[in-house]
Amino acid sequence: MKIIVPVKTNPDLQMIRIKNREPILEAVPYKVGDLDKNSVEAALQLQAAVGDTQVVALTIAEGNRKIKDTMKEVLAMGADEAYILSDDALTAADQAGKALALAKAIEKIGGADLIVFAEGSTDNYSGQMGPRVAELLALPEIGYAKKLTVADGKLTAERGMGDLIEVLESSLPAVVTVTSEINEPRIPTLMNIMKAGKKPTTEWTLGDVGLDAAAVAPQKAVLSNLAEEQQRKNVMIEGSAEEQCAALIDALIKDGVLEA
Amino acid sequence: MEKVDCIVVGGGLAGLSAAYGLASEGLEVILIERGDYAGAKNVTGGRLYVSPIRDMYPELWEAAPFERPVTREFITLLNSGNATTIEFASDKFAAQPYQSYTVLRATLDLWLSEQVMEKGGMVITNQRVDELLMEDGKVIGIRAGEDEIGADMTIVAEGVLGLVSTKAGLRQKPSWKDHAVGFKETIELPQEVIESRWHLSPGQGAAHLFMGEVTKGMLGGGFLYTNKSSISFGIVLGMKDAKERADKIDVYTLLDDFKAHPHVAPLVAGGELLEYSAHVISEAGYAGIPQLYGDGYLLAGDTAGLALNQLYTVRGMDFAVASGYYAAKATLEAKQQGDLSAAGPMYEKMMRDTWVIKDLETAQHIPHFIENPRIFTHYPQSVGRIFERLFTLTSDPTEGIYHKVMGSVKQDFVNAKTVKELMGVRKI
Amino acid sequence: MGTTVEGKLGHNVFKIGKERHITVNTEICNTKCKDKVCLYICPAFLYKLDDQGNVTVDWEGCLECGTCLLCCLEDALEWEYPRGENGIQYRSA
Repeated sequence: MKIIVPVKTNPDLQMIRIKNREPILEAVPYKVGDLDKNSVEAALQLQAAVGDTQVVALTIAEGNRKIKDTMKEVLAMGADEAYILSDDALTAADQAGKALALAKAIEKIGGADLIVFAEGSTDNYSGQMGPRVAELLALPEIGYAKKLTVADGKLTAERGMGDLIEVLESSLPAVVTVTSEINEPRIPTLMNIMKAGKKPTTEWTLGDVGLDAAAVAPQKAVLSNLAEEQQRKNVMIEGSAEEQCAALIDALIKDGVLEA
Repeated sequence: MEKVDCIVVGGGLAGLSAAYGLASEGLEVILIERGDYAGAKNVTGGRLYVSPIRDMYPELWEAAPFERPVTREFITLLNSGNATTIEFASDKFAAQPYQSYTVLRATLDLWLSEQVMEKGGMVITNQRVDELLMEDGKVIGIRAGEDEIGADMTIVAEGVLGLVSTKAGLRQKPSWKDHAVGFKETIELPQEVIESRWHLSPGQGAAHLFMGEVTKGMLGGGFLYTNKSSISFGIVLGMKDAKERADKIDVYTLLDDFKAHPHVAPLVAGGELLEYSAHVISEAGYAGIPQLYGDGYLLAGDTAGLALNQLYTVRGMDFAVASGYYAAKATLEAKQQGDLSAAGPMYEKMMRDTWVIKDLETAQHIPHFIENPRIFTHYPQSVGRIFERLFTLTSDPTEGIYHKVMGSVKQDFVNAKTVKELMGVRKI
Repeated sequence: MGTTVEGKLGHNVFKIGKERHITVNTEICNTKCKDKVCLYICPAFLYKLDDQGNVTVDWEGCLECGTCLLCCLEDALEWEYPRGENGIQYRSA
């Protein structure tokens, strides 16, 4: 079996400083998205369960200058090889353009029995890549799976629906997106990090997958990306503990936080 | 067990310098760092003296992402009611080649690790080395988690605490008696503000040290280094004094008091805190250097006790680079001779024959000298008194300058204690 | 700029793992140590006394400086660096 795991690397969200409500991305290191590690882990667990399976990671560089280094983490987790789409036009592309590029790359890799996405990216979380790629490749898609099994040429997936668990079955090839509940991603060991450097990594431009900049030109634009404005009321309540409590409850009722 | 030529434990300046030298000559070298990237766990006050190390890897220092060259030196004697500042500027320091630079480690070390990788060295981050593997008293590799890797040579540059080298019995656990704690805030300030507050030409930098009130009589002092668009503002405090002080002062509050001091507050005003960091520093000097090598290993950087506090200059990073450089050089030469066991003695000789250990030896009486609390209280106050008297004008008939100054000098300096201490100065 | 030390630590990046890397051996601490230097010497002020008078440590905010390790005279601390991927991660400013 062949499993392709498209992953996204993003600036380490914990490392980003906000200044004047804007994120400062300069000098922030990139890492493989936390949610993407769940999808890699899911693929590796299927590989272990099914046997004789190849796990292929695929990514779009999206401005990450050290994409090859960042992708080593996926290889160190256990993926067998990696494909990287690097093209300035893709950095500016929106979800439609990126999904098209991923679909073309998947075709060029030779397709897969299963394509495992994260439920959404760890930074933008639009959740569009799985469904869009499935549509472009005309494959069945199951979203937000929290358990996966492959047997007898079929995929079985469980989805949590509030109080219910929905179990779905699909023929292969198929596209699935997985939630963070599905597993605890492994942390690469020293030995596996050393081996990762020797695993094959292929870099492609848009032209390599039969596309050009026009084909992935964005149809929508990000107008702003600002931290939420936090307005604090700076109300100081004084007095004894009882008085303060009473005044605080009154104030919260007035603001509609509590019901009278 | 997988085996490589050389393992370097720790991605600080010592480890990175060693790995760079080894990788440049084509050795298979793996550097293991526990932070997210080299520099993520590393702390400095802020200044790297480049002149002693310029000839080692000259290509690096020309390209390195330093913050500002230090072209102005400030020393402030800070008292509760006054402050005396010496400002020193010299054309020599303001021109190339610059003697020293302010640095931020997360920037510098990360860059250096990229240079190591460019030379073909492997830098593995996010991995903690748990143990040195020993066989018949020889270091044969390392263990990280479940994984063991062997090496012909292990260069241990794990920092001042030396956890794995201590566990392996290669050195003693560092003692509170001769170590200090440094803690600092990195405070963002606009470049123009920095340049105007420290009288700097665009792009140039200042080092500003403080003595006296900062440590409330304890061994240590304050420091302030100007980065590109931030300042490193902190305190170094001798652990012995802090520990034994009767009023058990909460150490972290010293920095807030320092910052709020009327003669310091204007320097940091309007700045925004970016980060708060701390680290142990060795103040043992020459006496703190352990056995530098043994079978299969070399110690470098802070792990080898290489740090020097001379009060007006504080050095460590230049020693770290030099030790890494010599560790690589000795390993390479020994390998060429076909006998790696020669690396250790060669390494020690290189260190002893050059400024590295000579400078520490020259300064070996400083740790004892600065144990004297009068340096941190009496003398700063005395100097303050002289100037306070000199600049004071009242409705009383004024004294002559000579009387003003000599009055204070006699009171504060012409006594048995001071004379004895001045004799001590000759040793340093 | 009257920030508390907790407020200062709030400006740092801590990647908090599941394993604590500092453990106080309460028995040694209570029976042997009179000075409790850790309570005032930690630059991040992480050591506190709990209701029972035992020393506790908020290891999540640790700067990994090592001051407590050196100052704990009775070796009542089990002190490791946090494992890879965890602990303080200083940023370039």
